[in-house]
Amino acid sequence: MASSFQRRGIPVASFVEDVPTFLQQYNSDPSTALTALQEKLQQYKIAEMKLLGQKRDLQSKIPDMKKCLQIVGTLLAKRGSGEVMKMDFEVAEGIYSQAQFEDTNSVCLWLGANVMLEYTCEEAMELLTKNLDTANTSLAAMVEDLYFLRDQITTTEVTIARVFNWDVHQRRKQRSLKVDESS
Amino acid sequence: MRPGSFFSAEVSEARRRRESVVEILGDGVETEVTWEDQQNINLFGRLNNKFHELEDEIKATKDMAENLEDASNELILADEEEMRYQVGEVFRHMPKEEVEERLETLKEENTQELEKLYKEKDSVLGKMADLKKILYGKFNDSINLEEA
Repeated sequence: MASSFQRRGIPVASFVEDVPTFLQQYNSDPSTALTALQEKLQQYKIAEMKLLGQKRDLQSKIPDMKKCLQIVGTLLAKRGSGEVMKMDFEVAEGIYSQAQFEDTNSVCLWLGANVMLEYTCEEAMELLTKNLDTANTSLAAMVEDLYFLRDQITTTEVTIARVFNWDVHQRRKQRSLKVDESS
Repeated sequence: MRPGSFFSAEVSEARRRRESVVEILGDGVETEVTWEDQQNINLFGRLNNKFHELEDEIKATKDMAENLEDASNELILADEEEMRYQVGEVFRHMPKEEVEERLETLKEENTQELEKLYKEKDSVLGKMADLKKILYGKFNDSINLEEA
């Protein structure tokens, strides 16, 4: 039997063992049951869309985080070598200016909300790595949630088809009974 | 309205969005579905999702491989000793040899990634084929596991 285990507030679509027994909750009226199931399906789909959006947002942030790590990594690698690095910075769209980089031990990280904080390279590296890890962990959790949601959607879809088939079957039986009576 | 006609519309909508590949046809044929069948169907749905994600990733990785190849070809043609190598948002001036080294590393990583993805795709497809056998074996034409 399907457990009523919840995940992120998503209720489980319980598996229907037997259609007639299931229909008793709806006074054995298949169309009421179908409407209720359709409603549930829609809710699952809305939840899936929301979650997919969140996943896309997060996925688009990960490359940016990697870029930051790359830069800090470069600074760390060159530190102490006394080598002057030349970089081209984009000052406006399509316009680049050259800058020389001497040994540096700190970078400023944009924390958001118009706040920038200066970190040593090691601290920055640590912070950025931690952020990337967190992002990857929540991405993995989201993927799991999406799989779970997909299961609920599939279960509901199958239930709808079964109720519908049962109904058609029932009607056919009734029809053939009537034909028998009239003949 | 024919009973359940909204259901078939629902199914085609879901399939158009290529999200739902599992379809128990509303054809009036009554087949008993057990909890085990349901779990198999759910698993098939998951695998199908995974399959599409892998396809997308493979495409992105292939594009990357092409870009890297283009970059190394350009590098061969270039006669400057100092190149500009993009790190994050800025371009770092770098000797040609170092750029070559970096490109080689990236290419290698890319090839490995691609191999990994192909292996995963094969395993997913294998599992899907097994499930198809089981599910078609039980439900025949009452289930549709193909994509339009």
